[in-house]
Amino acid sequence: MTRTTSAFVAACPDCAERVTTDDPNDVVAFYRRHHAVTGHDVTWERTPDVPATTELTDAIDRLADDASGVSLGAVSAAMSDRGWSVGETLSAVHDRRLTGDLWEPRDDHVAVV
Amino acid sequence: MTRWNDGADRVSAVSPDITDETNALPAKYFTDPDVWEMEKEKVFSRYWVYAGHENCIPEAGDYFTRTVGDKQVIVARDEDGDVRAFYNVCAHRGSKMVDDTPMTDPGNMGRIQCPYHLWTYDLDGDLRSTPRSFEETGLNPDLDDSDVSGLDPDENGLMAVNTDSIGPLVFLNFADDPPLSLAEQAGKLKSRLESLPLEEYQHARRYVSEVECNWKTFGGNYSECDHCEANHQDWITGIQLDESELEVNDYHWVLHYTHEEDVEDGLRIHDEHEAQFHYFWPNFTVNMYGTADGYGTYIIDPIDEERFQLIADYYFAAPELSEDEEEFVHTSRQLQEEDFELVERQYEGLQSGALAQGQLGPNEHTLHRFHRLAQEAYNA
Repeated sequence: MTRTTSAFVAACPDCAERVTTDDPNDVVAFYRRHHAVTGHDVTWERTPDVPATTELTDAIDRLADDASGVSLGAVSAAMSDRGWSVGETLSAVHDRRLTGDLWEPRDDHVAVV
Repeated sequence: MTRWNDGADRVSAVSPDITDETNALPAKYFTDPDVWEMEKEKVFSRYWVYAGHENCIPEAGDYFTRTVGDKQVIVARDEDGDVRAFYNVCAHRGSKMVDDTPMTDPGNMGRIQCPYHLWTYDLDGDLRSTPRSFEETGLNPDLDDSDVSGLDPDENGLMAVNTDSIGPLVFLNFADDPPLSLAEQAGKLKSRLESLPLEEYQHARRYVSEVECNWKTFGGNYSECDHCEANHQDWITGIQLDESELEVNDYHWVLHYTHEEDVEDGLRIHDEHEAQFHYFWPNFTVNMYGTADGYGTYIIDPIDEERFQLIADYYFAAPELSEDEEEFVHTSRQLQEEDFELVERQYEGLQSGALAQGQLGPNEHTLHRFHRLAQEAYNA
């Protein structure tokens, strides 16, 4: 995207394509589209108001304020403090869901079981 | 005559005569989400659309995926060396089979296997094998094994998608019986491109940008250069815009740009002393540069009615670029960014709802063809 008026910023380190948005799940959607046609990952550049964390379920717990789950984008933004890319976070979420630790109360939102 | 949304809400069909007052596609066709839903079927499922470059899948079993609208296909090279395309959908119960795999990072597989129940297909799409649970009836007390007749490999194969090529450029058509062959849709574009050694060049760079406007807005911007003098100062240096020619054909149009000073023949893939920018309906361009021994393509891929991805690919003699080639690609990227600024600004205006139907100039005949083709597709 070429406008830069929003809070969350992420970019592809390989080709410098950048996304800025108020909704961190837009970054997840951007990653999926970008990865599908380039194979590239996406990393966070700016994640305002997201608590620092070192562990995936801890991040989800700290972000959750109701039962409808935390957006994948917010989880990914939080895990960027640990150096994880968007792709790495989604992969970790996938793995944890398959072990039954996480579930998806609504689209692209996760909660701890 | 420009028609405003002043309460009268008057629009008319795009006139075949560019000098008529209703010569532009009404603005709602750029902003209405229902139009994008219609285009998935009436445009992107009826005409030939670009899939990718076959140089990226040189060996049997090499493949990539390509998503067009809601449809995704696997484009693979089979054991005979032919490039085939199949819906990425298992014939068993409809599971998506392979993960998204870009042309720039292709995969390789001996056979196509669905991970759900391990139905396995040959590279020609025929069903090769199923697990024993599809041949034996141990879990069903009402049947004996002898009641199972087995699955016909052809009848239970993958659903193929029509493919055809112009040189190394592979195209898809989702229609059961395409209204046009690729040769008919491409016209002289096919013979013009096939006269060039496109297959001798390798994929070198891909840049993918997301832009906040309708795909046709960018397509229209690409199709004319009246905006270049004011907005592409770096690019037009050394180009004689006055001597440019805009060539219109049935389903493609070409912008020819002459350079003020000739460049060495070794610096370009084609012999003409000019750059040639081909727009091929509905959303593909081939860019033959006047000052680089290589070529580029754009896929103007809609995400929805108000966003698209520009997939820009560059092909040179070798994938590793020289300093000059790097600089050339950088300049091309700059041109794209300048255009993104223009089309996003235009789209903001269109989204305001003020304009009902714009007014094209007499030298925007390439754009007029584009709008006419859109209308023709919608009415088909």
